[in-house]
Amino acid sequence: MQETIALPNSASSTGLERLRRSLPWATLLRWLLLALGPLAIFALFLLTVGADPIKTYSAMYFSALGDSFGLAEVMIRAAPFILGGLATALPARTRLVNVGAEGQIALGALATTFAAMAIGDRFPAWVTLPALLVAGAAGGALWAGVAGLLRTRLAVNETISTLLLNYVGALVLIFCVHTVLKDPESFNWPFSPPFADAARWVTIGGTRLHWGVIVAPIAALLVWYFLTRTHWGLHLRVVGGNPEAARRAGFNVERIQVLVFLAAGALAGMAGMLEVAGVEGRLRPTTGVGFGYVGFLAAWMVGQHPLGLIASSILLAVLAVSGDALQITARLPASSVNILMAFVLIGILARVGKKNAA
Amino acid sequence: MKTRKKLLPFLSLVLIFAFVISACAAPAAAPAPGAEAPAAAEPTEAPAAEASVTEAEMAPGMGGSAIGFLYVGPCDDYGYNQAACAGADAVGTAFPDMEILEAENVPENQEAERVMETMIRQGAKIIFPTSYGHLDPALEVAKRHPDVVFLHQGGQKTAENLGTYFGTIWETVYLSGVAAGHMSETGKLGYIVAFPIPQVLLNINAFTLGARSVNPDATTTVVFTASWCDPGQQAEAVNSLVAQDVDVITQHQDCTKTIIETAERAGVMSVGYHADASTLAPEGWITGSMWDWSELYAKIVASVEDGTWAGGPYSGNYRTGVSEGSVKLAPFGKNVPQAVQDEIAALQAQLLSGEFFPFEGPIVDQNGVEQIAAGVRLSVGELESTNYLIEGVVGTIPQ
Amino acid sequence: MLEAILAGAIRSGTSVLFACLGETVSERAGIVNLGTEGSMLGGALAAFAATAYTGNPYAGVLAGAAAGAIFALLHAWLVVTRNANQLVSGLVVMILAQGVTAFFGRTFVDKQIVGLNTQPIPFLSDIPFVGPILFQHDILTYLAVPLAIALWYGFYRTKWGLVLRAVGERDDVAYASGYNPDRVRYAAVTLGGALAGIGGAQLSVAYTLNWVEEMTQGRGLVAVALVIFAAWSPLRAILGCYLFGGATALQLALQAQGIPISPFFLSMVPYLLTLFVLLLVAQKQRYAMPEGLRAVFEGKGNYSTQNR
Repeated sequence: MQETIALPNSASSTGLERLRRSLPWATLLRWLLLALGPLAIFALFLLTVGADPIKTYSAMYFSALGDSFGLAEVMIRAAPFILGGLATALPARTRLVNVGAEGQIALGALATTFAAMAIGDRFPAWVTLPALLVAGAAGGALWAGVAGLLRTRLAVNETISTLLLNYVGALVLIFCVHTVLKDPESFNWPFSPPFADAARWVTIGGTRLHWGVIVAPIAALLVWYFLTRTHWGLHLRVVGGNPEAARRAGFNVERIQVLVFLAAGALAGMAGMLEVAGVEGRLRPTTGVGFGYVGFLAAWMVGQHPLGLIASSILLAVLAVSGDALQITARLPASSVNILMAFVLIGILARVGKKNAA
Repeated sequence: MKTRKKLLPFLSLVLIFAFVISACAAPAAAPAPGAEAPAAAEPTEAPAAEASVTEAEMAPGMGGSAIGFLYVGPCDDYGYNQAACAGADAVGTAFPDMEILEAENVPENQEAERVMETMIRQGAKIIFPTSYGHLDPALEVAKRHPDVVFLHQGGQKTAENLGTYFGTIWETVYLSGVAAGHMSETGKLGYIVAFPIPQVLLNINAFTLGARSVNPDATTTVVFTASWCDPGQQAEAVNSLVAQDVDVITQHQDCTKTIIETAERAGVMSVGYHADASTLAPEGWITGSMWDWSELYAKIVASVEDGTWAGGPYSGNYRTGVSEGSVKLAPFGKNVPQAVQDEIAALQAQLLSGEFFPFEGPIVDQNGVEQIAAGVRLSVGELESTNYLIEGVVGTIPQ
Repeated sequence: MLEAILAGAIRSGTSVLFACLGETVSERAGIVNLGTEGSMLGGALAAFAATAYTGNPYAGVLAGAAAGAIFALLHAWLVVTRNANQLVSGLVVMILAQGVTAFFGRTFVDKQIVGLNTQPIPFLSDIPFVGPILFQHDILTYLAVPLAIALWYGFYRTKWGLVLRAVGERDDVAYASGYNPDRVRYAAVTLGGALAGIGGAQLSVAYTLNWVEEMTQGRGLVAVALVIFAAWSPLRAILGCYLFGGATALQLALQAQGIPISPFFLSMVPYLLTLFVLLLVAQKQRYAMPEGLRAVFEGKGNYSTQNR
């Protein structure tokens, strides 16, 4: 019981953590199986429709990891997963569940766009970009803050409220894109006007890689440092471990919970900012759709560890990016790659249970 | 507590370094570091500089080993994408040495950029982004690849290496509106559309004009679904229209199957769009408008390949129509009287000869404001900025 | 106008109602299944494919139920046997179903099927106002509400319902009474998936007669939200799901009347209403929530962390 209190989320005794505990060779073998199993299963799927697995896999490998463009694509995809995952991992430390990164990313992107339209090209990029990052963070924080307040003031469960707010957030974004934010020169096509150059992250050498992706690993590092190296991080653990005890010890539990939610939303909101100011260059109805859920999975894969999250996000980004090759090379639907992604996750899910159930 | 965490940060830090290092490696490996930073922006500059060096030997788009096609939906949707895919097949037949790269279900956002880049990496120098929302992603990719030619279907923006093409399909939509006006008993027609872009508004207006030319009391009720293909919404839209006594339903959606089948089951008539779907509604099918891209696609590719594309008609906003066969009227359904079929054939002949023009003024919008003055015939480009619905249309442009 | 909207509410709410009832069964046993979306998608494709092959839409519905059950079984295995986090497992099942249906569904896009037709009930369908709303539907739509009532009866008036609820509330009590809680959970989740599969089947072989990738468009996740709205009651689920269907029908009807209300705003209504209901009855809701679910929603990821 002691341990459960210290480590509130059951998942944090799993994932990478287990790597350390087990014997290295047996562990390596298991990880190898975890990696190759899904590839083998997906190869069977490919064979049923007569696609050549080796050719397909090499095309997938090339499209995501084969050249600088592919690598750049992986990184711009991984960045929002990391930030969305942090939005899950941080509240998890206080045993709060945030399934709402999806909606918080949407609101972050929306707030960024409103700010970008207001600012225009009045200021140089070194003023505009930080301002937009703050705007995005504020948008996400606002959305998560609603869930935080509902939880602490009105006893509305945060898992449920964040899930519901995802839909509302997506619809608010779509509503704005179709109305107040619609580009007047778009002939009624639903997207916002393009961002000014000063509001765009500079891209690197012929790829779409933008400097904004650095925000994600820095945020991960800061969250990790905060949680493990500061006394504030310890407070969070105490609150998550036993709120009653924490309350008696003089912690303002409700305030801490709201603050954690605001911070989580801010992280997710920055993911939205990166997407519009880095990759899209404008707001579209589908901007950032699905990133929050993938981030949630990425955080869970590594037991909510902020730094491990970087690795799991990159892995999921590689899979996501390689889907194009399926479509173009093997003429299979790009979303078939979800099968591969799911089996990777199922392998981890099933493996995790093994020890717990025993 | 502290010891158990030692390995994890270490591993993760290694990964961060990998992240950062590959970030730095990326520009080094890329062909033109720095030169294409967005500060250099305007798409016209880069190609111009490049052209002066290479123009003598090779114009943009030449010398590729593949041609790429992007579709927003699947290739057999009885609709827009099916027509575009058929065009791609024709290009494959006409250019057997070229590999045809196709990508279905490509979303209308930045994902489309990545798909185009992947195609370019696989040797494509000519790319057809066929959906309306693929235009702006294509413009972005075009900036990065001045040596690749992009041909967008239906857009109104161009760049040095991006041209658009489309057909004046409102011609046949007008004709099918005439047929619908004859066939409808209630005088209430329904139009299920996706987004209020000019092409869509033009079609609604043309259909309504056609119907009202034979039945001045006819009205067209329009419903927006905000999606090119959502069968659930489509089915409910049909039911909702039928409940309001609409007895002819047409659409501007990408996939048309659900609407036509649901209309047939509800016992109302349907007018098709994009492709011939008469087999889906043996009883209620009236006619429809279809694309035939095969010749046009092949002509455009040929012009790129022989170096005459730049400066030619296809490098701007190229528009074609019934006259060149890119737009056709679908076969009539079995319940359409011969007299109606003959009348429409005659009208089509007048349209072709230029004797008749559907949008000749006066055209009055829903609010009674005259949009096109008496006797005026707007150019295709002017028509493509339509932002109103005409008198006789029920429903408003969502704002 | 009102008649058309109400009829439309039932038409577009039925597929969600099936999924919602299935999820209610599952959550009554203490298992949240976000994979309901996956079961619906799988059900929609399997039903369409089986109908296309056999020409028999009833075979299609069975296939849809089976496909929905299979995806739910995977979820049950992961969360019951392997003790995985329920929210994560559900999302993974959803992702798997999206991939599998995209992969195998591609060849069915242009297939034409003879689906479940509207079968007006003699005499009843002629009643003014009520007839067109209630009695001019396909067979699955007729079955949805009786199913909800049957589930309500099953939950509260039968031994099996008692066992199911006991497992969801206090599984040690169920265990002490001689029932294997894990088996009950397996059964509940699988049945829930089968019902979601039927919901998907209703969408593909009765409502649209069509299959396209991602055709459920999030209806399965909506169903999970509506279970909460209904406070785990199958009867309130009817209200919630038809309210959701009503929002869809209303926005189309308003448009057709030329009334400019944003469809996106109307689409928000069911979610905002759910939040509002939660606000009003937060304490009561907590009380209504099966005890076993609390662990999932309150950050432990799975019921068994508290029990073992």
